[in-house]
Amino acid sequence: MNAKLLAIIKREYLQQVRTKAFWIATFLIPGLGLGMIFIQVALSRTLVAKGRIGVVDLSGRLYEPLLAEYKARPTDEEEGTKTEPGKDKKTPDAPVLEKASQAQKPKLVTKLDLFQVNATPETLPAVRTKLNEDVQKERIKAYIVLTPKTLETGAAEWRAQSVKAEVVMREQIANYLSRAATKERLRDKGVDPKVYEAARVRVDLEAHEAQEIESGESGKNVGFNIAVSATFFFLIYISIFMYGAYIMRGVLEEKNNRIVEVIVSSVRPTTLMLGKILGIGLVGLTQYAVWAGLAIAVTLPGAAAVMGMSEGIPHIPTGTIGAFVLFFVLGYFLYASLYAALTAPFNTEQEAQQFVMIPGMMLILTSTTWFFAFNQPNGTLATALSFFPFTAPLMMFMRISVQTPPLWQIGLSVTILLATIWAVAWFAGRVYRVGILMYGKKPTLPEIFRWAFQAD
Amino acid sequence: MTAAISLKGVVKSFGKFAAVDHLDLEIPHGTTFGLLGPNGAGKTTTIRMIMNITKPDSGEIRVLGEKMSEALQHRIGYLPEERGLYRKMKVLEQLLFFAAIKDVDKDTAMKRLSPWIDSMDLRPWLQKKTEELSKGMQQKVQFLGTLVHDPDVLILDEPFSGLDPMNVILVKDFLTEFKRQGKTVIFSTHVLEQAERMCESIALLYRGRKILDGTVKDIKHAYLDRVPLPPPVEPEPELEKIFIKAVQESGLEAPTAEELK
Repeated sequence: MNAKLLAIIKREYLQQVRTKAFWIATFLIPGLGLGMIFIQVALSRTLVAKGRIGVVDLSGRLYEPLLAEYKARPTDEEEGTKTEPGKDKKTPDAPVLEKASQAQKPKLVTKLDLFQVNATPETLPAVRTKLNEDVQKERIKAYIVLTPKTLETGAAEWRAQSVKAEVVMREQIANYLSRAATKERLRDKGVDPKVYEAARVRVDLEAHEAQEIESGESGKNVGFNIAVSATFFFLIYISIFMYGAYIMRGVLEEKNNRIVEVIVSSVRPTTLMLGKILGIGLVGLTQYAVWAGLAIAVTLPGAAAVMGMSEGIPHIPTGTIGAFVLFFVLGYFLYASLYAALTAPFNTEQEAQQFVMIPGMMLILTSTTWFFAFNQPNGTLATALSFFPFTAPLMMFMRISVQTPPLWQIGLSVTILLATIWAVAWFAGRVYRVGILMYGKKPTLPEIFRWAFQAD
Repeated sequence: MTAAISLKGVVKSFGKFAAVDHLDLEIPHGTTFGLLGPNGAGKTTTIRMIMNITKPDSGEIRVLGEKMSEALQHRIGYLPEERGLYRKMKVLEQLLFFAAIKDVDKDTAMKRLSPWIDSMDLRPWLQKKTEELSKGMQQKVQFLGTLVHDPDVLILDEPFSGLDPMNVILVKDFLTEFKRQGKTVIFSTHVLEQAERMCESIALLYRGRKILDGTVKDIKHAYLDRVPLPPPVEPEPELEKIFIKAVQESGLEAPTAEELK
């Protein structure tokens, strides 16, 4: 590598890494991420279902069983709380696992005060008026109306101040009621409700890959893998935007400082551009290295326990990390050169923004499709987007992290990306060369294209 | 002996506008050469083409007898009209960066710059960020940046524009020192008085064309009959000299960069 390029890379790198802003961002981003996890864990542990609930039982058969179900709630809660598949397996030889899953499960503080409200179909309107007032004046949280129909079809009524609030509590009560009603219906058919408890079985679909050799990619880690894929996906997304902005600011600084002319009298403009892109790219990698270090620290047992994951954090597959680095680098180069080219002709960030928005939109588009792609990594949409160069860095990474696509597809995607990077870099170099010396009037897009194709 | 710089039939257009129109120039070694003309005459474009920053549409440019190349760029010191420095970089770092992009290593650069740094009183400022420097100080740093690779030819685009008298003197001393070392100095200006006093040869550009060139002496001789002579004047001190004297006699210290901010 030539010494001038090295000098430019070094300057660019040190310039960024020495700023306070860089270190603040480096620690703030994971800090915010961890903070959000903490808040979520803390919140989910303190979900509260608390309050007085009036029960109008017109069927005359459900109040007592409901109360009984509520009192027997430790087991009820297991069912009432929706957990991700695979997280509450009850394999007798895995007490640790079970403990871990218990720890991860939100603990519901359930303090319901169920009381019966006597009513008949005739007095119901009057009772309703009274109960409605109680709810509005917050003397009670809510009331439910059970009718004989509840036993036949499961239809019942929940009345509270808002239909949106207290969803957790409503779900829980619905659960108790379901069990109570089921048992009553069994009794009608002459079956002892105890049979229900004994016969009830919970089926767990444990996900595995369809391969002769166990890859270790069992569904056990599905939640974790979604998190890893999504995190890396958004890391690529955010970094491209963030470092794109660094490049934009760098180009404008040199241009507005007028230092650029001094530099291009010693170095070729393309070398300056390349140096800038490489230097800032290294800044990005430094940031990732810091984050990787932090992540390793977090996976230490102590830290994991603090986060309520006594199971420890599963290993991130090497393939995912490899794909992440590869597609981050490819995506960064593509967008960085595009940003450099689209910024060079302008004098202010505002002017440049309009054009930089174009690649920005393509990234945003990809980010909105990630969940579809995650669900169907080999679907038409995901496959198409993983070949389109401006979405490929994100989409191909996503596909690889979920399910390794055929090798030829990865190869094709990388080839298309490399070809596009080459073309964009060529275009960027030509536009940059002319653009950095242009002051004053804002050029139009056709003019910019003309620069790219005009003779030296 | 070949010319330091020669241009033959150089054309450069921006769209329909011919910035430089079939320009021929011969600039001999060791002279101080003025590229004159009003704004928009094509001076900056000409200099940028000599520096290989932009390329001519047609014509030939030779520097030190060769076609311009990256290696040749290193034998020229260039100070563009729009001068700038990285605001957040320290002075010394900045100078060493300029050295590095000219393929000059740190030790050589320091050896070369040290006497200048001392004579310009820059040493206390080396570890300061550029943005903390006064404009005059920044000017000095920029000049050092063009010297760090010990060029044979110095090209300065409007070196006097926007300078106060003290800095004009600084630049003049600088150019005089260069000339003394036998180097070729080329500068553009639209202030003819500067050119008259400093240049041996000039070229006058107008609308991209050369309308006049030669040594100042020859040109004056050629126009002797056609241009009215100024009335004879009594010798009197120049205002510039008076300025310096008055400043010195005031007995006040020069303002520091902080005070100037």
